[in-house]
This record gives sequence, C-alpha cells and structure tokens, in this order.
Amino acid sequence: MTSRLAKFQSIWQSAPYAFAFIGAMVIFAITLIANQGSGAGQIVSAALAFGSFYALVGIGQMFVITSGPGNIDLSVPANIALSGAVAMSIMGGSDAMIPLGLLAALGCGAAIGCVNYALISVLRIPPIIATLSSSFVVQSLAIVYGRGLRITPPPFLAEIATGRVAGIPILSVLVIALAGVMALVLHRSIYGRFLKAIGQNMNAASLAGIRVGLVRFGTYVLCAIFAALCGVLLAAFSGGASLNMGEEYLLASIAVVVIGGTSVAGGFSNVSGIWGAALFLYLLVTMMNTLGVGTGLRQILTGLIIVAVITLAGSRRGVRE
Amino acid sequence: MTYRAILAASAALSFCLASAAASAQTADKSIALSNNYAGNSWRQAMINSWEEVTGKAVEDGIVGSADAFTTAENSATEQAAQLQNMILQGYDAIVLNSASPTALNGAVKEACDAGITVVSFDGVVTEPCAWRIAVDFKKMGSDQIEYLAERYPDGGKLLEIRGLPGTSVDEEIHAGIVEGVKAHPQFEVVREVQGDWTQTVAQKSVASVLASLPEVVGVVTQGGDGYGAAQAFKAAGREVPTIIMGNRHDELTWWKEQKDANGYETFSQSIAPGVSTLAFWVAQQILDGKDVPKDLVVPTLRIDQDGLAEGLEMTPEGGVTNQEYTQDQAAELISSAQ
Repeated sequence: MTSRLAKFQSIWQSAPYAFAFIGAMVIFAITLIANQGSGAGQIVSAALAFGSFYALVGIGQMFVITSGPGNIDLSVPANIALSGAVAMSIMGGSDAMIPLGLLAALGCGAAIGCVNYALISVLRIPPIIATLSSSFVVQSLAIVYGRGLRITPPPFLAEIATGRVAGIPILSVLVIALAGVMALVLHRSIYGRFLKAIGQNMNAASLAGIRVGLVRFGTYVLCAIFAALCGVLLAAFSGGASLNMGEEYLLASIAVVVIGGTSVAGGFSNVSGIWGAALFLYLLVTMMNTLGVGTGLRQILTGLIIVAVITLAGSRRGVRE
Repeated sequence: MTYRAILAASAALSFCLASAAASAQTADKSIALSNNYAGNSWRQAMINSWEEVTGKAVEDGIVGSADAFTTAENSATEQAAQLQNMILQGYDAIVLNSASPTALNGAVKEACDAGITVVSFDGVVTEPCAWRIAVDFKKMGSDQIEYLAERYPDGGKLLEIRGLPGTSVDEEIHAGIVEGVKAHPQFEVVREVQGDWTQTVAQKSVASVLASLPEVVGVVTQGGDGYGAAQAFKAAGREVPTIIMGNRHDELTWWKEQKDANGYETFSQSIAPGVSTLAFWVAQQILDGKDVPKDLVVPTLRIDQDGLAEGLEMTPEGGVTNQEYTQDQAAELISSAQ
C-alpha cells in the first residue's frame, strides 16, 4: 500500500496533470467498449469542442487560484452571460463588426475584473464574497441588457466556433495554442514567477520587492477577460447569447483547475492539466449518456468519480513540503 | 337548445352588466401577488403580464388594487413571512406562486382563517382551503407521444431530454412520457439525457450521446431544450429528427426557418406566463361571490404547424410565447370545471 502510494506520489511530483489525462483515457475506453468500438472519432471531436470552453474558463480561474489561498473568481458565469450578450448585440450578425464586438466584450470582461479587484483591495472584502456580490450585479446588468436577446452570431465567428478541419474543431486548435502561450506566461515570464511566488508566500514575495497588488490586480483582470472570451465563443457556438448559458461554468471552472492538479492553496499550477480535466469532465458526461445511466444514479456517479480523481490527486500533499 | 339560448342570453346580459355588476362587488377589493422567484424570462413575462392586466383592471374600477410582490430568494421561509405581512396588511385575496407545495401551508391556513381568499397557481399549495390552478405536466409528456404516434404510426426510437433532476416537474413530464410509450409500444426511448431546460446544457448533452445514438424518429423534451438539441444534431451532420419544442423564441424561430427551407414539421407547447392573469381573474371571480371549484387546470398553449407564424408573433424575442387571459376566459374555465 505504501509503495503504491509512493508510486502515485512520484507520478504526481513529476507530472501533476497525469491523473486528469489518465482518468479521461479510462473513461474514454469504457465509453468505446460500451459503444462496441464505434464513434471514437466523433466522441473525440465533440470532447475537443466542448472541452475548449471548460479550458478557457479553467485557465483564467487557475491563474486566480495560483495567486494564493482564498483567491477565487465566482463572477465567471455572470461575466459569460453579459459578455456574450454584449458581443452578439454589437456584432449584430455582421462579419465586419466582429473585431469591435470582440473588443467590447473583452473590455467588458476587463471592467468586471477591475471591479472585482477593487472590491477585494480597496474595500478589503474576501475574494469569495467580493466576486460573488459583483456577479449578482453583473447578472442583473445582463438581464437588463440582454432581456429578449437572441441575435444570430456573425457567420465567420460561428464558423470558427463550430467549424472543423479534418474532424478537428477549429476552436480547440485555437484554445490549445492559447493554452500553450499561457503555459509560457506561467512558467517562463516574470509575471508568472511573481504570481507563483505570491501564491506560495505573499509576505515573502512582498518583502522580496514584488508589487503584490499589481500582480493580483492583473490576475483578476486576466481571469475576467478569459471568461469574457468564453462568453463570446459560447454565444457563437450555441447560435446566440442566452442569460443562463454561463451557469454550469461556475463549478466547472473550479473543478477543472483542481482535477488538473493545481494546488487549491495556490503557488503550484500547470496548464496542461486544465485540458486533461476539461476532456475528463466532458467524457464523463458522454460515458454516462452512452451507458444510459438514469439521472439520479448519474449525479451520484459523477460525484464519486470526481472525488476519486481528486483523492488520487490529493495524495501528493505532504510531499511538496 | 333552450339551455344554450339561456346561456347566450345570460352571457349577453352579464356582458352588459359586467363592469357595473363586477365593480359593484369587487371595486374596493385589494388583491396581492406573492411570487417566489423572478430570475428567468418566463417569470419576468409572468410579472409583466400581471402588471399590464391588473393595471387595466384597477383603472377600470374592477378591483381596488393589485400589487405584485416577489421574494428576493427562492425560499419558502421568506415567502411565508411575506404572506404573514400580507395578512396584516389586510388584502382581500392573495394570488400565490409558491416556492413549495407544502411548506407554505401554515401561512396559507392563517390567511384563510383571516378571511382571505388564496389562489395558488403554477407552484400550487396543497392546503385544502386554497384554490389551485395547476399545470397538468403529465399530459404535457403524454401529448408528445400522442403527436408522434400520429406522425409515425409505425413508431420508432426516441431520445428523451430530461429537465432539472429532482424537481417534481421533471418527474411528472417524464412519467407522462413513460405512460405515452406504454400506450404506444411501437415507440422506445433509447436514451435519456439531462438538459436542465437550458439550451446550452441540452446541446452539450445531446452532442455527447450522438456518437452512440441509433437513428431516432423523435426527440421528446421539456421545453427550453429543443433548440440546443437541434444545434447538436446539425453540428454532428446528422439529419434532425422531429424535436418537440417548448414555445421559446429561439425554438420557434429555428422551426420557422426549417419549415420554410424543407417543410420541417413538429409542434410546440408550454404554459403561457400570462397564467398569472388567469389566477388574478379567478381570484376576482371568487371575491365576486362566484362558486369556483378548488381545483382548476391551466390550459397549455399549444402551437401546431399551421399556427406557427401566429405563435411566433405572440412570442417576445428571447422569451416564451405569451397570452394574457380575460375575465371571460376565467369564467369559462370555471364553468367548464363545474
């Protein structure tokens, strides 16, 4: 038992993202067996497409969680609803307006990030409460602004969000590339190193001369911009913005971070695990649907499987110190 | 024949006397709406319809006042407190969309004991002293199979999209579908996915099951999920089966596009948010001294192939097809239930 645990721990130390990918592959294999080996290409293609949205919000959330204990952004779903609505209404279905609409949505996201950090820093409200309360305001804005809004996305944007080249969703290629860039930012850039230093010990980082406030500010804005981008793409993907389209991304954004092997306590994170976890979460739904599991049992199994993966992930605790 | 003549005559008479007689009885009565939730487009439309219709009724002198109150959180304790306030404020009738079928029974009983008429609708309460205008969700399920049985007499495989797990609405619509399939055994529900009445969730769930889904003739739904299902079928490059729609604007718009392009046929059904105005008129009729049975059933608003253009006109962008009810329609519902 101890040796098995030690083996897990050594995998974790070298590759903390491994369990998300292993989990995803196991679930994929079960699905294929249940499906008599057919439909593999279609399942992978759908997993990449839907996983892209989990990955987008997950990367943003991961940067926030990396910045230390207690840091979290709960305004992601409201942000998705508002940004998607803003983008769709400015674009008005015309390709020429895509840059402007995208810019407005990202600006909207950046503004939400600024408000979040202002609440945290100026008013000294804990992040979990600050972002939750700002999400109420943002969701209300989305309701007022987007009431009765279902504008078809511009054809070019819809093509990017739903199109496939050789069976591979275009969107997933873009998000994987973006994940690559963010991995460089996290591990190689000065900002990334500052962020991890703050996450590991805020006081030490501050004494070392890091401008903690500025880095945290940038991180909340970054997360909000990622959520806004997700909102735009999600609206383009599902044929228009709807008020409740962000709802499932609150827990999902946090789940992919944790399943992906990022420490909830901050300071240690990795981007590839986000993609592993995003595929894992989607394939889990596919497996349940393929096996034809009833709704009640489905909830129980989803819970148990996520607990199992996180428990395996948790065995690294104590190793790090 | 004579009966009809009398009915027609009395209808004509009551029409002439309607405003005079009704206002004489209820002109100084006050009615309150106690609503537990306002966070989606259906509830928003429900409140708007209430304000529009009751505003006019107050202006016409049919009732004294008709205020709408919504609790901030969808919680039974908060709504019970709200009801107690209404009792103290001395309303003559309370129209109630309840957070729980049982948890408000105590407060409802208190209101009844204080001589207040309580009419619950949509979210009804079980307390016997209150009136109930309930939705027959089971019928909404079995009607879908009835329709498909007409379209496909030979039957076939079906995909079912469920609503929010654990809610009674989901259970009842599902039970209706099961019942329908039992009555028409040529159909078989081959897969069941969770749609949460949300387009994006339904889209994801349906996409995830498509790889393993045999060819289906129809998709039975609960409303709010039809458009997402259609998107998923389209994205996978599969022919879209007959998807039952739920009166949402995006669902009807998509159906219209398909109908124009390739003659796509289906039907759509939901409860009009304006049912709040039906409850208002029922309360007014009770205050007016009419004998009203305690249990009434809300008619579903159904859109068929021919009525699509008209249905779309009745649907605000991004909302649900709506219909506001009149005093006469309420009277009709009451007499048909007797």
